[in-house]
Amino acid sequence: MSFSFPEISIPVFSFLGIFGLYMACYVLYSLFNIFHLVKYGIAGNGLFLIVFTFLGGTILLVAASIFLLLPYDWTYAIPLNQITDVFNENVAL
Amino acid sequence: MMNLHHLPNQRPNEHVVLFLRRHWFSLLRIGCAFALLTILPLSLLWYFWNSVSVWIQEPFLGPLLTMVGCMYFLSIWLFVFLEFTDYYLDTWIITNERVLNIEQEGLFKRTSSELDLASVQDATAETRGFFETMFSYGNLFVQTAGEKVRFHFKSIGHPEYVKELLMRHVQEDKQRVVHTKETK
Repeated sequence: MSFSFPEISIPVFSFLGIFGLYMACYVLYSLFNIFHLVKYGIAGNGLFLIVFTFLGGTILLVAASIFLLLPYDWTYAIPLNQITDVFNENVAL
Repeated sequence: MMNLHHLPNQRPNEHVVLFLRRHWFSLLRIGCAFALLTILPLSLLWYFWNSVSVWIQEPFLGPLLTMVGCMYFLSIWLFVFLEFTDYYLDTWIITNERVLNIEQEGLFKRTSSELDLASVQDATAETRGFFETMFSYGNLFVQTAGEKVRFHFKSIGHPEYVKELLMRHVQEDKQRVVHTKETK
């Protein structure tokens, strides 16, 4: 018994779509969060410190993500056959 | 932005007596959750670095793992700030005429209510458990004459002191109301 997929390859950059979708949700939630803080928070230096800490942390994390993700070859594509090869080898055993 | 010198529907001669948030112990719990959720995966990463360093070199698995890791840490940061916002925006304000209760529940629910001090019937301070006793924080319930729903000051510092202060201002406000009626 063996499985085989047609000659289709999954490019690695397709995962960037998922990451983009995640980042869109992240930005949306962050904006809601900042909106609530600014609209309903108590006016003062503390509030600005909180907002800047959140924004600073977010900028650092996004910059680190870009720094870690950039070196990869995003044009690389993995053929689906390779995935089924591993499965078929296990079945054969 | 809210200003303590310009409260919503502020009355003439009204001033803030006490501004309350939940006790700092609530903040400590958020901090501990943040530390645990950050340090634990980083420790695992450090412990299994020999295997992980091979995986992240893979052309397919590498970007996938890195992306999941980035999404994880961004989620933790966002989660902690959402929790902090919830803490920061839950406030109770006692003025010489009213009690204001402003509560934020998640990002999309906000409850704001107020109560005239003259309508307060009684107040109950409650301290339960080891940590609440050790760090002097707890709940305060304010009961009005006609309502079933009580004002609930959640996890505030020194609830006994707040109760005494509140009841003192309730008496003063009741006397003020009676005096105002008599002069009319």
